[in-house]
Amino acid sequence: MKKFLAMLLALVMVFALAACGSEPAPTTSTAPSTEPTTEPSDTTEPSDTTDPDSIPDTMEADSYEVAFVTDVGQLKDKSFNEGTWNGVKTYAAENNLSYKYYQPANGDEATDDDRFDAMTAAVEGGAKVVVCAGYLQEAALRRAAIAYPDVHFVFIDGYAITEDPEDAESAVLTNVAGINFNEEQCGYLAGYAVVKDGFTSLGFSGGGGGTNPACCRYGYGFLQGASAAAAEMGVDVTVNYSWQYGNTFQASPELQSMIAGWYTTGTEIVFACGGNMFASISAAASANDGYVIGVDVDQSGESDQVITSAMKGIDQAAILAIGHSYDGTWDEIGGKTTTLGANDDAVGLPTATDSWRFEAFTVDEYNTLLESIKDGSLSVDANYPVDESGMDNAGSLELPNLTINVI
Amino acid sequence: MTFLIQQTLIYAIPLMIVALAGVFAERSGIINLALEGIMIFGAFIGVLFVNIVQQTDFFMAAKDADNYLALQGLEMLAMLAAAFMGAVFSLLLSFASINLRADQTIGGTALNLMAPALVLFLIRIIANQNTLQMASGDAASWFMIKKAMFGYGRTEDMGFFGSTFIDKTYIATYICILLFIILSIILYKTRFGLRLRSCGENPQAADSLGINVYKMRYAGTTISGALAGMGGFVYALTTSNCMATGDVAGFGFLALAVMIFGNWKPLNIAGAALLFGLFKCISASYSSIDINGDGVYMLANLGISVHLYRMLPYLITLIVLAFTSKNSRAPKAEGIPYDKGKR
Repeated sequence: MKKFLAMLLALVMVFALAACGSEPAPTTSTAPSTEPTTEPSDTTEPSDTTDPDSIPDTMEADSYEVAFVTDVGQLKDKSFNEGTWNGVKTYAAENNLSYKYYQPANGDEATDDDRFDAMTAAVEGGAKVVVCAGYLQEAALRRAAIAYPDVHFVFIDGYAITEDPEDAESAVLTNVAGINFNEEQCGYLAGYAVVKDGFTSLGFSGGGGGTNPACCRYGYGFLQGASAAAAEMGVDVTVNYSWQYGNTFQASPELQSMIAGWYTTGTEIVFACGGNMFASISAAASANDGYVIGVDVDQSGESDQVITSAMKGIDQAAILAIGHSYDGTWDEIGGKTTTLGANDDAVGLPTATDSWRFEAFTVDEYNTLLESIKDGSLSVDANYPVDESGMDNAGSLELPNLTINVI
Repeated sequence: MTFLIQQTLIYAIPLMIVALAGVFAERSGIINLALEGIMIFGAFIGVLFVNIVQQTDFFMAAKDADNYLALQGLEMLAMLAAAFMGAVFSLLLSFASINLRADQTIGGTALNLMAPALVLFLIRIIANQNTLQMASGDAASWFMIKKAMFGYGRTEDMGFFGSTFIDKTYIATYICILLFIILSIILYKTRFGLRLRSCGENPQAADSLGINVYKMRYAGTTISGALAGMGGFVYALTTSNCMATGDVAGFGFLALAVMIFGNWKPLNIAGAALLFGLFKCISASYSSIDINGDGVYMLANLGISVHLYRMLPYLITLIVLAFTSKNSRAPKAEGIPYDKGKR
């Protein structure tokens, strides 16, 4: 009897495991049938309104012409990686090109070698253009660009790079196009807008530990905007400003606790400036009836607590750069640093009715402000203060009507 | 104060229930090192369950209609699913260590290695990335108990008790506390509990009195697996926004430490878990803690480095263990496979 019971248990376990293993199988088998890229008729249709989410993330092909190498964090971070990837997918799908994404090994602890391996895999997989997201990829990108001079590399959130990192005078790699953004402008817009809307106790939680230039510019712009609006309205505004728990751009229980602490002690709105960190911050906001400012892409669809998002056109940048590669005008961006800002309509806040959740601040006021940035009558400083180790040092700032608590 | 208590509970409850899971296994004579692995697996199953079930018309409608009872029911069902699959997963350990008489430490380690790999593999297939999230919304808006459910407005106050123990809490927390109490009573005040404990102290003597040691050990490990699986999901739900990542931040191992620290006794374990939870909470949010409600954030004003605060929970555990481990006494027969022929 006991033997029989034991046998039975063993069998149950085997079946339970087998059931676990085979459970997801149907999704993989149905995936190829939904690939729209196999239908040639798609190419003639105007696809301006294509929802990037409807384009599958993976496709079957012998080689992949357009490749995307992700930054730290998840592909589907609903922010930086996903936004760039949407641009890559959109361009590829519209032009009937094959595409594939590569995530460097070891996740958040990816080394330059891991990134280089991902780029190599992309090139060996047939890539003609490799889009690399995130400034951390510089060293790997330099090696890959030297090793594969015929492949075009797009360096999002990056800059033109030279062959020798020590020698700024050495030859510029012409197959790398650096594209960055005036994040301080949309940070400014967001900071200005929330203070104008009546918020006086703000928070900023940034990724990259205070060393990521894009996040630092967002934060610096945010402070300037908040200060400008506070001075205009004659109110005093406090900002909790933190780089804690953001090194890896990941959601974490600790981050959620910290932000929940802010909300319970009076912070009304927090600028979630770093990929997946949004999940922790919006969870804390949702639990405490606080509000959130999204980053990089319009995140209003993720949570009702998102008042607005400081957007930059990462998808637009990817489309632009891949376009230059395919229409033979690579020279215009190759070997150069292209900065996209308000004048390129590459930064701003989402103004669609669904995404505009301000009560007092209006779209017209926003447009006026945006115009003044465009025509140069308002200039937002991009050079954030740094301490001797190169860390962001917002605590040293003295801005009118603004108290900054660095946490 | 309210904030401090709530955050402490959020960290302490999963630890407490998983440490009790460890007690049930070890008191029956099986070392369950696989707590971490079972937690990871349970978290994955629970989140997957929520992800799939919440998309059904019934629950989408319930969410739109603010039908809180249905949503709390969904949360409890997910806990049940996680507990069930946690129990099934732990059968691997029971089978290896009871029937095959394999080394329990190695069996547990194998499960710990297998769980994150298996879970990540499945998540990648299902979600095409490294995290599995809810299909829509977030944990707080779906499952959290809020004062609005009891008709309180945004600015109305529920009083200290209400705002601390009802507003912004999860029902999972209270289910865990209840289960903890019931299971502790079972372990100490029932015939089943006595027999289970005897199998961990002297299985030969227990067998001579007609107790089926194999059955008791299976029962202990299976209860342990169910609790750990549930604890894993509760952890994912309350601390990480209902996300499964193939990782529970070492809470399974911490629970083992809490169990040893608590000397394999439920009451001590509850105390140890609360202590650890308290310091975990202080380390993450010391800058917002206002103990006596006078608007002064004492801990932030002390000017101590943030790194010291972050070390605190581990430092405290080390210190307390150093002082208490001398008196702690493990079940005598744990880790030794039971062999009827050996006397």
